[in-house]
Amino acid sequence: MYPNLLAPLLLTLAVLAGGLGYAALRHPVSRRLAARQLARHRGEALLAITGATLGTAIIVGALVVGDTLNFSVRQAAYRTLGPIDERVVSTSASAGDEVSAKLSGLRSDARVDGVLDAHVDQAAALDRSGRYAEPRVLAWDVDFARAATFGRAGGPSGLSGAGPSAGQVVINQPLARSLNAHAGQAIALYLYGRTYQFRVARVVAERGLAGAGLGATINRNAFLPAGVLDSAAAAAGTQPRAVTFVSNRGGVERGAALTSPVAATIRHDLLGLTAQVDSPKQDVLTSARKTGDALGALFLMIGSFSVIAGALLLVNIFVMLAEERKSQLGMLRAIGMKRSRLVESFSLEGSAYALAATVPGVLLGLGVGWAVAILSAQIFRGWSADGSGLAITFAVTPTSVVNAVALGLVISFATVVATSVRISRFNIIAAIRDLPRSATARTRRLTLVTSTALALVATAAAVPAIAASQAESTLLLPALAAVLAVPALRRVAPARSVLSAVAVAVLVWTMTASVVRPHMFDNPSMAVYVIQGTLVAFSGVILVSQNQHAVLRPVRRLIQRPTETGLATRLAVAYPLTKRFRTGATLIMYTLISLVLVLLVQITGVINNSVNANVADATAGYSLRVDVNPLGATRTLTDVTRTPGVAGITSLVSAPAFATDPGRRTTAPLPAVAVGVPATGLTSMRFSSRLHGLNTDRAVWALVAADTSYVVVDQFFGATGGPNGRYYRPGDTFTVTNPRTGATRQKIIAGILANATVFYPASSSSGAVYPLVANVQAVRQLFGPAAQVSAALVRTRHGVDPQRLAPTLQARYLSASLVATPIAVNVRRSFGSSTAFFRLMQGFLALGLLVGITGLGVVMVRAVRERRRTIGVLRALGFQSRSIERSFLIESAFIAAEGVLLGSLLGVLTTWLMYQKSAAFDGVRNGYPIQWPTIAMLAAATLAASVLATTAPAKRAAKVTPALAVRVAD
Amino acid sequence: MREIAPYPVHSTGGTDHALLVARQVRKVYRTGSIEVAALRDLDLTVHAGELVGVMGPSGSGKTTLLNCLSGLDDIEGGSVEVGGRDLFAMSDAERTAHRARSMGFVFQAFNLIPVFTAAENVELPLLLVGTPAAKARARAMEMLSRVGLEHRVAHRPAQLSGGEQQRVTIARALVARPAIVWADEPTGNLDSAMATAVMDLLCQLNREEGQTIVLVTHDTAIGSRVPRLVRMRDGVLAEDIRQETALAVS
Repeated sequence: MYPNLLAPLLLTLAVLAGGLGYAALRHPVSRRLAARQLARHRGEALLAITGATLGTAIIVGALVVGDTLNFSVRQAAYRTLGPIDERVVSTSASAGDEVSAKLSGLRSDARVDGVLDAHVDQAAALDRSGRYAEPRVLAWDVDFARAATFGRAGGPSGLSGAGPSAGQVVINQPLARSLNAHAGQAIALYLYGRTYQFRVARVVAERGLAGAGLGATINRNAFLPAGVLDSAAAAAGTQPRAVTFVSNRGGVERGAALTSPVAATIRHDLLGLTAQVDSPKQDVLTSARKTGDALGALFLMIGSFSVIAGALLLVNIFVMLAEERKSQLGMLRAIGMKRSRLVESFSLEGSAYALAATVPGVLLGLGVGWAVAILSAQIFRGWSADGSGLAITFAVTPTSVVNAVALGLVISFATVVATSVRISRFNIIAAIRDLPRSATARTRRLTLVTSTALALVATAAAVPAIAASQAESTLLLPALAAVLAVPALRRVAPARSVLSAVAVAVLVWTMTASVVRPHMFDNPSMAVYVIQGTLVAFSGVILVSQNQHAVLRPVRRLIQRPTETGLATRLAVAYPLTKRFRTGATLIMYTLISLVLVLLVQITGVINNSVNANVADATAGYSLRVDVNPLGATRTLTDVTRTPGVAGITSLVSAPAFATDPGRRTTAPLPAVAVGVPATGLTSMRFSSRLHGLNTDRAVWALVAADTSYVVVDQFFGATGGPNGRYYRPGDTFTVTNPRTGATRQKIIAGILANATVFYPASSSSGAVYPLVANVQAVRQLFGPAAQVSAALVRTRHGVDPQRLAPTLQARYLSASLVATPIAVNVRRSFGSSTAFFRLMQGFLALGLLVGITGLGVVMVRAVRERRRTIGVLRALGFQSRSIERSFLIESAFIAAEGVLLGSLLGVLTTWLMYQKSAAFDGVRNGYPIQWPTIAMLAAATLAASVLATTAPAKRAAKVTPALAVRVAD
Repeated sequence: MREIAPYPVHSTGGTDHALLVARQVRKVYRTGSIEVAALRDLDLTVHAGELVGVMGPSGSGKTTLLNCLSGLDDIEGGSVEVGGRDLFAMSDAERTAHRARSMGFVFQAFNLIPVFTAAENVELPLLLVGTPAAKARARAMEMLSRVGLEHRVAHRPAQLSGGEQQRVTIARALVARPAIVWADEPTGNLDSAMATAVMDLLCQLNREEGQTIVLVTHDTAIGSRVPRLVRMRDGVLAEDIRQETALAVS
């Protein structure tokens, strides 16, 4: 996973670790100081390690999710392809013979270790009892002896042993499961409209040739005795399809490396023939990499917020340590310790925390990745209509673990070193006497000049970036310029006003940049979301931190009440108001995580809110999609029309195709399916955008019906996962290719469909197949005989339940391999899975909340230590111990509540602004309901957990003996 | 709302009213198997309006005496009555409430609440006994004015000098008109001029308002200014001297 990150990460880590190792070896004083601090603050060390462990676990978990997805998709290559690298599909056996003859040269090609011819066609199956039926069966005629040696150099082919004798059939595991069948059992196969009885000779594992098909992720295969398929076809006056499989040298995965040259040779050999040449292995492996990377990146993006929280936790711990040890550090400097040794000592101490967190972090991360994989498996099952989905298998690669550990350590080391440098810069006398820090005039001047110059550079760089809608720079550069301008602005206005103004400017710009530059999100990068969330959270927290008095105005009466609770509250809010940095760092942790959690909650709400509208868009008056065996499909569909409950049907002509990306994101051909619709069939289907000049949806359909140059697509054409952008619009053109003939046509997009669910192929493909919808004539013109009627949309009569009608139709037309899918159920299932996926991401992100809560725990533990003297004085003055405890609990609740409320508010606002403008929300804009119950539950749970985390330190504070505290202090 | 001055105060030099009565007070510190007797069956009576100085060499038990008699620390044996109530017969909560109503503290290291302003620090004891916020603030301002800090009311401790901080501490100790003020080396962290000014203030308060003060010090100059000086050695009262000329303001 992410091997391209490995080298730079390891290099950075080596530099940092080398520096720290050198310091540890060459400077024993720094080393001893660090070791003593570690040994004497075990409780705090444990909390710091816990925070770092969570950070590492989050990164490991994210990368392991990517590994698992990558591996799971690759498993499809082993299950359904095995040694098969290239596949040539001909429409008839005789065409297949020609192909076979033309490819005879391949048998002696050094790059190829197997060529296997087979005949195949669609069938349906029924078990002996008639209880179990399977409409999606591939009936094969393949020579088992040849199959056994096919690609043998690279491992087993998946089919071996004796072929089925007369009256017998060999079936694979998926078909056996569908029919509940086993060896020796009788089954019936519907071939070309007739029933054939067989006895199952044996069930073979779904592996290699035994799991092979024509592109689906699950193939239910029946291997017939030699000649039976051809005879059955001949009896029906037709021929089966022919397939030639080619295996490259080098086993299942390595063989794919030869795909491009071998496929080029095949295409060259077959020039003039109309056969479809595919490279399924390469497609599957590419898809695996893309899916793994996309999902891994998504989880890494979500996890990065938690990682930022983890880094802030480390910063906070170190700042507090430095504050607590200020006089010690001052003394050390006074007696001659160099500043660099102090930096080393702090860095070594922090690095020890990070190192100690590595192993538990990896173990926890593997657990997190495993849990996510289990949940993903359930979600992915829901994403496919037939439940075949993607079989998720947990997998980890050493590259990912090394990457995650290196990334975690680099973040920790860098944070620790940077913080150590910052905290070591103090005035010796001020540190010893515990006086407030103040910069020298020279430092102030240097800071002013440098930051102002950098602010100007950032401003200059921001202008072209904004003009070009470069997402990351559009957000980052203006914010950077504003922050760098602070020292200059402070010369003309008070610090609080300047910081508040800069925070407001950054906040407003970050939230509204997408309104000003709506195309900035047309970018597959996830980094922009991390930058946006982080900037919003930081600026929001700075604004609140600088204006806490205004925030607290509504509760001023409570604070001023001369009661124990009033005093406890006054004390509780006094510390956060004074200790702005540490409070701000803790607040940011809460705000950041709450913001993103609420964002995900809101997105889930928006999706759920649009289900009914999407169902209406997807169905457009139709209730079922039926897929049938193209052989005799017209007759079957005519019969379906007469079925009770069916009001009418619209047949769809479809053909496999390749298309260029209308969004110009890739130059690789995209797998597509061209769908031909009759002129009057689908006029009620809605568009989210139309070609300029077409004022109604009907006008778009009329244009498509009248002109073969026009097609309609949905917004996901060419999408590879992640948030969607508006990469193309009506009027854009792209090229469609017939994969059998190589013929191409330029097509113009007439409209973007609001929902194209009904046009997606029913059988799950190993990768995404994007539908493009044209008129029937256009599809037939380009694809010729490959354009077949194989599906239809069914309109039911009023009062007929599509879910009841579907099994009735399947049973009645089993011999035609009819599969009926209720459209609304399909759409709802798909939305349900999307919702589940967002919940999964919320769960993953919730780990970040643990970081925040741990951070608050650390702050409170250290606060008790730091405030022992104050607690002693308060107790001496008459403060009850329960009030001390209450004060700590209120303080923690105050910080948590403020962070969660701020995060929630910013989350709702950010999502709303994205909802207004971002293409990611296209298709789900049906109102913006605020998910109050979920947000309230989230806030309450976070608050409760935060208070719980403070209980122990609060109790410890309450037990401080006043005399002891005062004496220790004195 | 409770009254903030439950005990009668009298004129300079003390009265017949025994405000503090300590009998056979014993305090032992334990570190592992080692036991150190810090107070050995100590008896002490302080009358209302007295200014008592406690002196003695380092480790003689001065601060322990102050902590135990004020109820900040537990004792091993004996009893301590303040205003007729036995501190160690009370629960911790009762003792804390009693402390809030009847005692004030001045520490060597000032020990102001760092996140509160001078005014907020001073009004704290009043709020603890239920004085309404406005009244507490007014009284705090009055006290700060009394100690010459009316111009520093909104400053936090870190923004004040050592002498100013100690004056805020004194204002805080006296604002609720406690029966007794405990001062542990109140001038220990101050230069001589500031130490004299602080002592003048304490003496003035004792003389003019009859404020009972028990003051621990190792400074003989300060010891010479108090009307009654108690000398401690090895956890017992070695001397209890009445001095005639102590209350003169420098």
